[in-house]
Amino acid sequence: MKRQIPLIIIITLGFMFVAHSFIPHKISTDFFDWYQDWVKAVSPFAVSLGIMSLFMVHGTKIKRKISNWQYSVITLAGLVFTAFAGFMWGTQSGTPYMWLFENVQMPMSATMFALLAFYIASAAYKAFRARSAEATVLLIAAIIVMLGQVPLGAMISKWIPESSTWILNVPNLAAKRAIMIGVGLGMTATSLKILLGIERTYLGGGD
Amino acid sequence: MKLNYAKTGSILFLMVFGFLLAPIPSHAAIDTSSYIVENLKADDIPDDDGSGLVLSWKPLPKEKRIIEYRIYRGVSPDSLFYHGKVDVNVKTGVAGDVMYYYDSGYNRFVDIQSPRKLKKEKQQSDNSPLFGRLPRDLEVTGPQLTNYRLLGVIMEKDFLYKNTKIEITEDDETEVYAGLKLRHFIYILKKLRADKEYYYTVIAVTESRKYMPHAEPAIGIPIDNSPEKIQQLYSVYVEDQTRLQFEWIRSLFTDDQSNHSLYLVKKIDLNKFNAYVEEQQKAEMDPEFETTLENPAQLIYQRYCGYPYTPDNTVAVDIIDGKIINDKHNIDVEVGNIEDYVAVFSLQDRAGYETFSDPSLFDIVNSVDLPKISNEWTVEDRKSDKGNYNSIYWEKPTVFLTNCTYLNDEKTKILVNYDIYKNVKYDKVKNVYFTIFDKSGNKITTINEFYQDSKLKITLKEPSNRISFEMRVVVNGDSGEDQLFTQDLIFNPDVKSLQPGVLFLNGEEVNKYTYSVYKNNYSNEEWRLSKNTLGAQRGIVDNVSYRSIIYKGVSKFDAKKGLFMVSPTFNVRMDDELKNNVGTNLYAEEVAKSIENYEKEIAEYIASKDTLETEAEIANADDAIEYYQAQIDLTENDPILQKAATFKNNKARIKFLEKVKNIARRSFKYKMVKTDGEAHFAISEVYTTDNVAKLPFDESARETYPTLGKDHFYPIPNWFQADKLPALIATFIFGFMVLFMIRQAKSGKELYIRPIAGIDEIDNAIGRATEMGKPILFVPGLSGITDVATLAGLSILGRVAKKAAEYDTKILVPVRDYIVLPIAQEVVKEAHYEAGRPDSHDKNSVFFITTAQFAFVAGVNGVMIREKTATNFYMGMFWAEALIMTETGNTTGAIQIAGTDAVTQIPFFITTCDYTLIGEELYAASAYLAREPLQLGTLKASDYTKFVILAFVVIGTLLSTAHATFLINAFPEK
Repeated sequence: MKRQIPLIIIITLGFMFVAHSFIPHKISTDFFDWYQDWVKAVSPFAVSLGIMSLFMVHGTKIKRKISNWQYSVITLAGLVFTAFAGFMWGTQSGTPYMWLFENVQMPMSATMFALLAFYIASAAYKAFRARSAEATVLLIAAIIVMLGQVPLGAMISKWIPESSTWILNVPNLAAKRAIMIGVGLGMTATSLKILLGIERTYLGGGD
Repeated sequence: MKLNYAKTGSILFLMVFGFLLAPIPSHAAIDTSSYIVENLKADDIPDDDGSGLVLSWKPLPKEKRIIEYRIYRGVSPDSLFYHGKVDVNVKTGVAGDVMYYYDSGYNRFVDIQSPRKLKKEKQQSDNSPLFGRLPRDLEVTGPQLTNYRLLGVIMEKDFLYKNTKIEITEDDETEVYAGLKLRHFIYILKKLRADKEYYYTVIAVTESRKYMPHAEPAIGIPIDNSPEKIQQLYSVYVEDQTRLQFEWIRSLFTDDQSNHSLYLVKKIDLNKFNAYVEEQQKAEMDPEFETTLENPAQLIYQRYCGYPYTPDNTVAVDIIDGKIINDKHNIDVEVGNIEDYVAVFSLQDRAGYETFSDPSLFDIVNSVDLPKISNEWTVEDRKSDKGNYNSIYWEKPTVFLTNCTYLNDEKTKILVNYDIYKNVKYDKVKNVYFTIFDKSGNKITTINEFYQDSKLKITLKEPSNRISFEMRVVVNGDSGEDQLFTQDLIFNPDVKSLQPGVLFLNGEEVNKYTYSVYKNNYSNEEWRLSKNTLGAQRGIVDNVSYRSIIYKGVSKFDAKKGLFMVSPTFNVRMDDELKNNVGTNLYAEEVAKSIENYEKEIAEYIASKDTLETEAEIANADDAIEYYQAQIDLTENDPILQKAATFKNNKARIKFLEKVKNIARRSFKYKMVKTDGEAHFAISEVYTTDNVAKLPFDESARETYPTLGKDHFYPIPNWFQADKLPALIATFIFGFMVLFMIRQAKSGKELYIRPIAGIDEIDNAIGRATEMGKPILFVPGLSGITDVATLAGLSILGRVAKKAAEYDTKILVPVRDYIVLPIAQEVVKEAHYEAGRPDSHDKNSVFFITTAQFAFVAGVNGVMIREKTATNFYMGMFWAEALIMTETGNTTGAIQIAGTDAVTQIPFFITTCDYTLIGEELYAASAYLAREPLQLGTLKASDYTKFVILAFVVIGTLLSTAHATFLINAFPEK
């Protein structure tokens, strides 16, 4: 029963939502809107699961004094204090909650995002080493596309921006679309497997 | 100082929370008196209905670091309630010397989000008059009803079914109300009352959210003014039709409009008319002023315009035998030579104030000078929708040039963009023929756009500053021979490029005119605007909302029961002559009482007539008697109300009335106006059809509404979205193939599945972690559970976790989505149980980090570095964070296998991971690992379907190249 009831719910609702995408009738759209309202109402309760998980993982680390447990203290203190600040003083501009958001979380997120530039350079170096014929083609294409994006490319030759556009719009787009078709089919196949109860691993415990 | 973890942690802790210490000393030094707002004033807003005041005050300098100004309002200076706020940029402050806040029109009174109890405003002294927002507590809010004009906005269903009957007896008169809880109102809105005193104050709030003392309250009295003057009236006399045509630019403030009127003024009477207008303005300014002059203008047209819709701004008045006659408004005007007249438009508000436009001279034309409106237009229900749109379309598609760019430095190669306006009837365009000429009229080339990609590449012999195009559209069933579009590309020195010029259709400038579609239902007398479109457009869709809202004045309350009271009467529709509303009461027993009341009113008016002196007073009494008599007749004789009276159960009666009311509200007739915006217009007939569509409800409704389906169109909800038919067929084919391949696999047939290196390596990668004695990291994407990629990732997680459990290798699963978390936990737990190793399962191995994208990456990177994971899996949906994770994994020396359907992230994974599952391979992985007939069947079916799609792509390309577009056209356009 533990497996069957969720499966019945998934299969029934799954087919209903498949039908919904082909049925524009008010009854169908009203049902879908009603479902979405319930999702909005239910999903915030799942936040408590996340918070519990955080407390369990980091609480265990602190309790057992596992190496680097001090970071767990900061994590939990940050969690508790941010929530406290939000409940106590609100979330408007000028409140401690917003101060934390603007002066702690935003700069830290920006820092992480800024690292991406260096990682791209590092990844580009790896990708564009001409170790084989395919890698050489990749290297040449990359040089053309990169030059095509900056004024220098047009200064060297008017063909560089045109070639860059062609590479992006023809072979690159063709490959992208091929992947997208495969993804679309893969998604349909996976959805179908879930709807027919063939794929049950996500319910836990394989088949 | 040598940093260890404890010291680093302490420094970080201080960095994060040290700010708490900073504001304390700064707060102590503030002199609050310098933060009091100065020069606070409340002035009347001109041209409104007496519901608007504008507050002004001097903003504090930016050094004061003000983040917002909060406004409080009340009817006495000792109780002021929070009303609204103005946000300020702390860094820049306010640029001007004066700040304004408009308290006008309807705004929020109280709703379900209001606080439960009234609270004193924060950080104010004990004797402060400032309070928070008006609460839901009716003991406090109820008495405020008399201080404002209140409007309840209620969902029709709540009004009809969730009301409580309340009887109030005052002076032996019992009045019945419908009581509604606050939650049954969408909003209760309030407006200021004219000529009433209101008190306002403002406080400044600093960056650290310190609420400063309030300014001395300012008094404001809103005054009802005459409406805003319209900008322009255009008047045209169509000589051969003896018709007057008027068009005007609508005013911006439309809340307080009651009547639109048109007058004719003899030119010799203009001075008298101006004197009359001047006198009226004086009377408005000074209520004591006595008017003596009569309006010399002759009323030729009048209509009610107080609906909450945009009214028609074009009017045609016919002169028949030298006279304009309209019985409804008692108009009987003799018109002489039109050159002796000017026209004047007036807007009248509900208080009776009237604003006249400037006089407008007639432009005398003949009907040949007016635009021609085609009879070829159609109204029909829009197909494949939920029943909330009607389609209105006309004529054949239009083609026009939109842009031009040079493709070479010599300016001899140009790229010309074009666009096509289609409509429901002509939705597939077969060909568009372009014939291109140089400025001397020599033909350059002819292009047949059988596949319309909106681009034309043209090679010129030499650069040109003018190129002419002739364009023809061939659509299903029409060669387009009768529609020749012409348009030039003209060199524009400002942009140094060729730009599209004016578009002509058979010699007529297409965008000189616009189309306005008007609609009218069974519930209202007047036409309302549906949409305005450009002259080139060929259709619109008109939204007919299901949502039905009732607006009711709120005047009383019952604090004990927690009810706001509104009138229980409501209108069902208009009578057949569109003269009177057919109204009734929520409570059946009150209907009979209302007839008694009408009779009483009639008796009182008849009795009062003996004492009335002026003709106007007697005429008013007659009008009232006529109105009440009409109401009695309708209540007793209207077939809908008669049928409603037969229901014994009131709920069934209301249900019947709701249905009838909805049909009246949602059935529209349509007309079109083609105009140049200056009263040169043509009005179509109301669209009628003999092809009466089947109704989505009982056909007996046609007895009540005999024109339903003929000229009034009720949108019909559809059970199938026709443009998704190819998708449905493809789904069935795919489903069939899946079942077929599963059967094949079950019957023991060997199905060849091409090897996928990434999947083959999964076992080796797990084995490597086992050998090294280090954990495995598995990231199931950053997306939610509704993403199929996440489901695919979780399926792979199940297989990997089972293998890891068999090898007794630790698996770490950081999760970003808290709904994915319990599912991932369950997947890993079950995998350990299946592997027969429940003892090795650590419930903390699947853990939540955060929903913030980059904070999650930081967490995952930390896990990789601290735990020194030997194998990293990334399976699911990823965004910009992908590269940061995989590069970190790369530096830690872990073997990495990624799989995603995010096209933009695949290159990063390929570069930094050892193996990557590209797109669909992610979805195949679970089946590949399971190696079961059921799973392999779906995999094989996917491959065959891909082959079918590929075949369509190749055949479609070949056919299109050969100008055969039927295959492309068989698929819906998106």
